[in-house]
This record gives sequence, C-alpha cells and structure tokens, in this order.
Amino acid sequence: MEPSQTGGEAPPALRMRGIRKSFPGVLALDGVDLEVRAGEVHVLLGENGAGKSTLMKILSGALRSDSGTIELAGRGVAIAGPAHAQALGIRIIYQELNLVPQLSAAENIFLGCEPTRGFGVVDRARLEREAGEKLAALGVRVDPVRPVQELGIAQQQMVEVAKALHGEARVLIMDEPTSALTESEIEVLFAAIQSLTARGVAIVYISHRLEEVERIGTRVSVLRDGRHVATHRVGELSLAELVRLMANRELKEHFPKRRVARGEELLRVEGLRGGILQDVAFSVHRGEVVALAGLLGAGRTEVARAITGADPPQAGRVSVHGRELALRAPRDAIRRGMGFLPEDRKTQGLVLERSVAENLALPSAPRLSRFGWMKRAAERALAAAAVADLRIKTPSLEQKVVLLSGGNQQKVVLGKWLAADVDLLVIDEPTRGIDVAAKVEIYEEMNRLTAKGAGILMVSSELLEVLGMSDRILVMRQGRIVAELDARGATQEQVLRAALGQAA
Amino acid sequence: MSAARWLAHQGRQVGTLAGLVLLSGLLSILSPHFLSVSNLLNVLEQTAINAVIAVGMTFVIVSGGIDLSVGSIVAFSGVLLASALQAGLPVPLAVAAGLAAGALCGLLNGLLVTRGRLPPFIATLGMMSVARGMALVFTEGRPVSGFEAGFRSLATGRVLGVPTPVLAAALVYVAAHLLLTRTRFGRYVYAIGGNEEATRLSGVAVRFHKTMVYVLCGATSAIAAVLLTARLNSAQPIAGIMYELDAIAATVIGGTSLLGGSGSLGGTLVGALIMGVLRNGLNLLGVSSFLQQIVIGVVIIVAVLVDSMLKRPGR
Amino acid sequence: MKIQRLDAKVALVAALALSGCTKPASEPGAAAKPRVALVLKTLNNPFFIDMQKGAKEAAEKLGVELVVQAAEREVDVDKQMQIIENLIQTGVGALCITPSGSREVVPAIAKANAAKIPVVIVDTRVDPKAAAEAGIKLDGFVGSDNYEGGKVAGEHLVQVTGGKANVGLLEGIPGHETGDSRLKGFHDALKGAPGVKVVASQTANWERDQGFSVFQNMLQAHPEIDALFACSDMMALGAVEAIAAAGRTGKIRVIGFDAVDDARKAILAGTVLASVAQFPSEMGRLAVEDAVALIRGGKPPADRKVRIELVTKATLESR
Repeated sequence: MEPSQTGGEAPPALRMRGIRKSFPGVLALDGVDLEVRAGEVHVLLGENGAGKSTLMKILSGALRSDSGTIELAGRGVAIAGPAHAQALGIRIIYQELNLVPQLSAAENIFLGCEPTRGFGVVDRARLEREAGEKLAALGVRVDPVRPVQELGIAQQQMVEVAKALHGEARVLIMDEPTSALTESEIEVLFAAIQSLTARGVAIVYISHRLEEVERIGTRVSVLRDGRHVATHRVGELSLAELVRLMANRELKEHFPKRRVARGEELLRVEGLRGGILQDVAFSVHRGEVVALAGLLGAGRTEVARAITGADPPQAGRVSVHGRELALRAPRDAIRRGMGFLPEDRKTQGLVLERSVAENLALPSAPRLSRFGWMKRAAERALAAAAVADLRIKTPSLEQKVVLLSGGNQQKVVLGKWLAADVDLLVIDEPTRGIDVAAKVEIYEEMNRLTAKGAGILMVSSELLEVLGMSDRILVMRQGRIVAELDARGATQEQVLRAALGQAA
Repeated sequence: MSAARWLAHQGRQVGTLAGLVLLSGLLSILSPHFLSVSNLLNVLEQTAINAVIAVGMTFVIVSGGIDLSVGSIVAFSGVLLASALQAGLPVPLAVAAGLAAGALCGLLNGLLVTRGRLPPFIATLGMMSVARGMALVFTEGRPVSGFEAGFRSLATGRVLGVPTPVLAAALVYVAAHLLLTRTRFGRYVYAIGGNEEATRLSGVAVRFHKTMVYVLCGATSAIAAVLLTARLNSAQPIAGIMYELDAIAATVIGGTSLLGGSGSLGGTLVGALIMGVLRNGLNLLGVSSFLQQIVIGVVIIVAVLVDSMLKRPGR
Repeated sequence: MKIQRLDAKVALVAALALSGCTKPASEPGAAAKPRVALVLKTLNNPFFIDMQKGAKEAAEKLGVELVVQAAEREVDVDKQMQIIENLIQTGVGALCITPSGSREVVPAIAKANAAKIPVVIVDTRVDPKAAAEAGIKLDGFVGSDNYEGGKVAGEHLVQVTGGKANVGLLEGIPGHETGDSRLKGFHDALKGAPGVKVVASQTANWERDQGFSVFQNMLQAHPEIDALFACSDMMALGAVEAIAAAGRTGKIRVIGFDAVDDARKAILAGTVLASVAQFPSEMGRLAVEDAVALIRGGKPPADRKVRIELVTKATLESR
C-alpha cells in the first residue's frame, strides 16, 4: 500500500479520516480514510453495499457522519448540508441526470443563479454567452439554446458537468457517469474530465467498469464492508488483484443450506428481451435454488419482473411445467403456481395499512370465496396457519402489517405465497434490511420449500447469500447472463469477476 | 375479541360516534325542538341523500381515488329518470333507466382512470362538467316535474312510521357494508387503495376492480337522484351542485383517509349524520346561513386534524 | 390512553358546536310573541337583503319575532326544503317563502299545510299546475308584476330606439317564473315594433360573472347588437363590463331589472340606460303584515301586486 502522505507537497484537495456511519442494524462505514489530490482522477471501487455511495453522500452533505473528520486543502470543515457542500466547492453528479428537460442547456446550467439585469429580469444574452463558454471549456460542442431533451445523453451529461462546475469547484464526484453512454460518448466525457484535471479539479470517480480504471484513473481506492482496504497508483496492481481486494469478504453469516436432489424442470425461460434484457435463457428445476447474481443495474430484477408478469417481457418464451405462459399480468403467472417476492416489500409486497390476515389471504382470495363472498373461517384458518408455520411474531391476525418488524414483514410476504400453494418462487432480495435471526428463518423456509419439491429463483446483491444459499449461480452483466456456476466450489472472486466483465 | 381490543380497533369510529352523540346532546339542550321524534326523522330524511352519495364516495376514496362528478351524475340521472316517467314508463323501468345512466357515467369515469390512466381528479372533473352539460342539453335547462303518486311515494311514504328515503338509505348502507367487509371485491378495494402495486403483484385484476368502484359510485349517485327527484317532485338539471363536497366531507369526517386503504361505511354514515344534525340544529337555532358554512368547515377541519393528531404519537 | 384521546376529540367537537350557537334559541317563555319565518332564496343578493330589511321593520312595528333563513346558494331547492322542514319543526306561526324553484317548493308547502302553518309566497310565484296537482293551499302572494315590468322595459326600448334595434337578451335560470314572466312581457312589448329584432337570447343564470362572459360571446357572434335587455341587474352589470372590454361603451343600450344600487349608479354614469325598479323592502313589509294577519285569524288579499317603476337618468336626477 502506498503511504498516504506525500511529503513536501501541498495538502491534498480532500482528506477524509475515520469516517463512521451506522444505520439501524447496519454499520455502513467503519472508519474510512480517503485522500484525493488536486488534478487527479481517484477511482473508488467496491462491491454492492461496500459503502461507496454512503461515503459520497456524506461528502456531498446528503448524510451526516457519526464521527470522523473532513479536510479540504488542509482546512477542517464540518459539512452542514448539500448547500454548504456546494459552497465549499464540492459537486456531485448522480447516475440519474437532474435536468429540466424543457429548459435549454444554458437555462439548466444557470438554474437558480441566473444572471440578471436587476429587478429579476434575466440577462438572456449573458446567460447564453457564459453557458456557451462553460461548455466550450469542457471541449464539447453543445448549442446552449436548445432544450436539453433534444440533446443526446452524453451532451446532457456535459450540461450536468457544466452546471456542477458553477463557481469554484474543487472536488467533483461522478457516480457511474458512463453507465448510459456509448463508446464514442465515453471518449467525449473522458476528454472533458482531462480538461478538468488540467485545471486542478480533484475528481472522485465511482465505477463498476474495471477497464475504465486504467483508461482514466490516476489512483484507485478499494472499499469493502465499510472499510478502506487499499489505495494504489493505477498500474501497480492487475485487474485480477483489484477484484481479489474487492471480493475478500469475511464469512460472517451462517447459511443453513441443505441440498436436495434436483427434480424435473419447473421453469424454462428462452430468448427473453425487453428493456436492457438481451436474450436471457435459463431454467429452474424442482428442489433447487437458482441465484441471479450481478451488479446493480445488470438486469437481475428486470428478469424477475419479466417472468412473473410484473413487467411483461417484449419477447421471449416463459414455460412452466413445460407449457408456455401467456404473460400479460401477474395473475397469469400466479395461476400457474408462480409466486413473486418483489425487491421492496413495503412499496411492492405489502398493503401496509391492512391486517396480517388480509395480506396473507390476498393472492388466495379467489380460493377463499364463493360467489364473491369471503369464507371468513377459511380465511382466518389460512392466515393462522401461515403465522404458525413461519413463526410470524404478531399480537394478532388483525395487526396492521406496518407495525411489524422488517423480518416479520418479509415473512408475511413469503407467507402469502406459501398459503397460495405456489411451487415456484421468484424472490428478489430475500433478506434485505432484516435482522440476522429472521434471515436464518427465511433461509430455513427456503430449505423446507425445496425439500417439498418447489423451485426457487433468487435475486441477491449479497455475494455471500448467493454462494451460501443457492445450488446454481447465473451471473448477469449488462442485460445478459454471462456465466453459470455451480454454487459448490464457486468463489466470491469468480462471481465478481464475471459480474465485472473480466474473463475468469 | 375483547371489549378493550374492539375499542382500540374501532377507535376512530367510536370517536366520531361520540362526537355525534355529544353534538346531539348539546342541541337538545339548546333547542327544545331538537329532540323530538318528528325532528329526528326529519334529520334522517334530510341526511339520506348525502349519505347515499357518500357510500359510493367512500368506496372510491378507500380505493385511493376521488369522484368529483357525483353531483352532476345526480342531476343527469335525475332528469333522465324524470323524463322516462313523464314519457309514461312504469316506475321500476324508469328507475332502472336512471340507475343505468348513473352507472354508465361511473363506468366512463372508471375507464378513463384505469385505461386512460388519467388521475381520478381530472377524469371525474371532466365528467362533472360533461354530465352537467348533458343534463342541461337534455332538458334545455328546464326542470322536469310532476310525477304520479306511485313514484312520489318513494319520498312521501312511510313504513312503520319511518320515511321511505330513510329506509332506502338504510338498505343501501347494509348492502354496501356487507359488500365492503364480507366480499372479495371489498377486500380488493381496501388492498388497491392501500398499495395498488402490491395488489397487482398478488394477482388481483386491479383495473377491473377499480373500474367497478366508479360504476358503484355512479350507481349510488343515481339512487340519490331517485330520492331527490321524488322528494322535490321535480328533477332539475342544476340539481346537486356541490354535492360532491358534502359527500367527501361526510366520508372524511367519518375517518376515511384520502390516501386510500382505510375507512368504513359506519364512519361515513356517522359523518353524514354529523353534517345533517349540525345543519338541522343550526336552522332550529336560527343561526344564519353564513355562519353555518363556517361551522361546517371548521368541523371538517377539526375532525381530520384530531384524527391525524391521534395517529401521530407512538403509532 | 385511548379513552383520553377520544375525550379530547369529543371536547373539541363540543366547543365547536357551542361556538356556532352564539345566538340563544327562542325560549318557550317568549312563545307568547308570534313568530314569523321569512325563507329567502339567498342572502348574498342586495334584493333579498332589502326584503329582509322591510320585513324586520314590519316585525318590530307589529311586535312579532322574525326568523330569517336562506340557503347558501339561490338555486339549492333541497336546502330550502330542509330549512322549511326545520322551521315547521320549531312551530313558527307563519311562513313567508321566496321559492328557489317554482315547482320544487310545492312538497315543502304541502308539509306546511299538513302542519296547519299559513304560507305567504313572496316575489316568485308557485307553478300553478304543480300546486293544483299537489292540492296545496296558499294563503297569499306578495310580489311585483314581473310581466308588467318586462313590458315597461320593452316599451321604453322601442321608444328610445325609434323602433329600430338589434337586441340581445340575457335570461335568468330557465324555469324561474320571475325571469320567464319578464321575458314574456318584454317580447310582448316588441310586438308592435317590427324594427326591433331579438337576435340572440341566452341564460346567464342570474349571475354577474356569467353576464360578462355570456354577453361577451354574444357580441362576438352578433356584432350588430346595439341593445341589451337583461332579466336582472346583476347580469346587466356583468354585460356592461363586457361592453367596456369590447370598447363599445355608449354604443349599446342596456336595460336591466331590479334597480339595485350599482345599477342606479351605472344609470347616472350613462353605462346603463334604464332598469325596472322593484320594491323588495315593501314586499318584505307586506309579507310580514299578511303573515301576522293570518296568525291573528284575519284574511289578507290573496294577491298583492307591489308597484314597479322604470328608473332612468331623468327619473333619478329629478329626485
């Protein structure tokens, strides 16, 4: 590791020391140090959940750290909020663009600080002239009077950069700036980044694309599990070594995985397309858990939502028990025995203000009613059975779901589908945001299901969960399945390398 | 369920009911005319129309929507029904025509919301104007009046001393309450209002059920139109202006959240009664119509304010 | 906990209800004084406020208690019916009613008949057919002769234009006896003057803002219009603004109805040619007098015509 001090030089543009941040139940950052020099592109690497975005949110004032210090050019600062961070010269460009599509490039760049001729009258000539100068300084040709919605993505990004550089920008954070760009657009962006570094701006560059480290980076820092692992000059380490640094996580959790014999084929997916998905094909058999792994935005959730009818696919065949499904809505998949636990249980999985019983019975309502009348005894029996089977901790069946803990809420979502007697479950992030005890209980339930002959497709951002709870791992990258691994014997590094697009 | 648990569960409704009882108690002290059988029957009769409209409104609001067109639908189905009666159609057929007209307007509302993906506010705002306009065009702006005694008995008749409109409203409430609490449709209405996406992902035909909610609301508005037309022995194309606000007020006072997903018809009925009792009482006391508006506005605000204050701490 | 919270809520509702009841109720002890109720269409129209004034003066003079109530909106027939029902409940001695709807008021009157409370109709007549069908009994009518008023307005227009004009009409709400009679009187006055043509006739629902927009549109469609008869001053005053907006002030002769204060000012200013004056305060006075006579077992005239008068710049200046 390179020493963090470079003797004799001016203090670094940015120095963060011992940054700690915890959320309820999770320690997101555990004493992170980071140092970025003026005029360098500092690449920040890390797996999903390593703490990159939390660290950047603290720097840009969106979050407050629990402890730790931040220095800008050697002077200690306490960042009070986003506006204060701006005033200090810290700028951030998020992955999603924050422009007003109907306004011109010039208007967007000066939004909120338009030059005026007094009495609030905007000096349009000056606005457009200065916007043009700013864009020219970035080395891009964008007509400042055109509405940004008529510009290409890369040009819009340049407008965003020009907007971010308002006033005196000292540190510019870019979060995955190339994710939506084509190769030639990336060239334009990189040229602009170089003109910025030449002016002495310090750039923190977050990316999942390892090849970009060598193309644009000066130094690279790796975060893992909320800790700073290493900082190196680009070129000192091979990409393979970087991946190893990112992946070497400790095995902290217990995975009670029990393997059962693989049975007949339950689900077959062929030629799935739509959105970012490109020709996705795979199958799930009775008794197995198939994991879909990959980085954020690789298309895992899109696959789950496509095959369950949540977002019906543009093209492709989905067959259950050997018969093709006509997927128009979720109920088409449910009728054939497929249940879906969505990524965000609060906004997609539960009716929070309704009771445990009503939530559990929701997908089974047709079976629990005759001529439209609910069979209330049957409904209660079903709910009571699910509560007992899954050990859902609730004072009564009438309790509103919103009042349960995260783990018990997740059990209610799972219980909905168990009660509906599905034999194929698609689970997107089975244990996100729930405590360890509940996690193990969910895992045990997955074991019980596969033992009974059900099949499970599990989407997970947790590498350890992927390795610990599945039988087969499908790794996705940019809308395609790029690798299939047997979970026994697969390593974190193998999965990560495939997800990052590095040949094994 | 134990009594305490029941109370906790029904807390909101019990609170509203307590408000109604207290208000009635107060009025019977202030006015010697309030607490008489004939006056209380008057209150029920005067409340019946708003209460019936509020039934449909409750379904719509529980499902997470809003219906601004109910007042105009009252006018439109009213004049249609009246014209059918004057054309010599038998009463049941004419009433059916009025109900069909209301349901049809509701169906259009529902399709605009579910298929056209318009916000309910916009779709029903449009229908509010369209239905009103249709009523005016249909009648050339003139009221249609004078009906046979058989039809009028829907308003003037009494069964065991109870005015028929009150009986009709009671029937509507019992049926609607069973629909909302005991049927699959009712379950889905709550679920859709609580979380439409989660309900859709649970395999519920959300668009169909949402459409039906608006159909139901159009139908209850049409029932109200039948009662109003019989009561006044006339159907006016300008009837029912601002009725949507009274219905929304009754629903909201009754504890139904405008966010959808929760609420009850019992609450709505009490809410409608609070408004009816208040208007009646203020009339009996000779309070000016200007002051009455202030009082009713304040009651709406206080009911919802108290509600949100009760919900905030600890929950 | 729960119970305490409910109490808080209950207390709030109670406080609220009390605050709304600042006026004490009519106490049984005061029952010796006869009570007369005046039910107006609305109280946000100067016409009815004048009527209320006349009624109050008469009530004071005669030593009776007067209750005045009105719906929030002039056209809300069901609200008016509720008010009448509630007044019957309080046992008033007599009811004076300005019907919001000529036919819709009939069931309410039937209820008053059933309670043996005498009813005096003021200003707007009850539809005679509906009344006959329902078999209701009316104990008196006090009001202007709207037909005659319309006729006077028409005759005046024929006279000033020398028998040549293109007239636009602003009607009241269709089905209102007052507006219909005024319109009929106006049309009848034009019969002898073939040069005065009605080129457009639309309702502005008695409202000032609608008078503006409806007449603006009318001028757009019929630029030849050089005279306007509006069935109420409110609509006429709205139209005057539309005329000003079109830059045609002074080129269009406007005749209104009711001669409210604003209209009188406009007549003096020359933007309105004339208006037909009614005497609402006199209506209010006569209505209360008749009601008291009925309570005391008298028999007032069945139909009282209150005088009307054409108000022009000349009549205003001569005063």
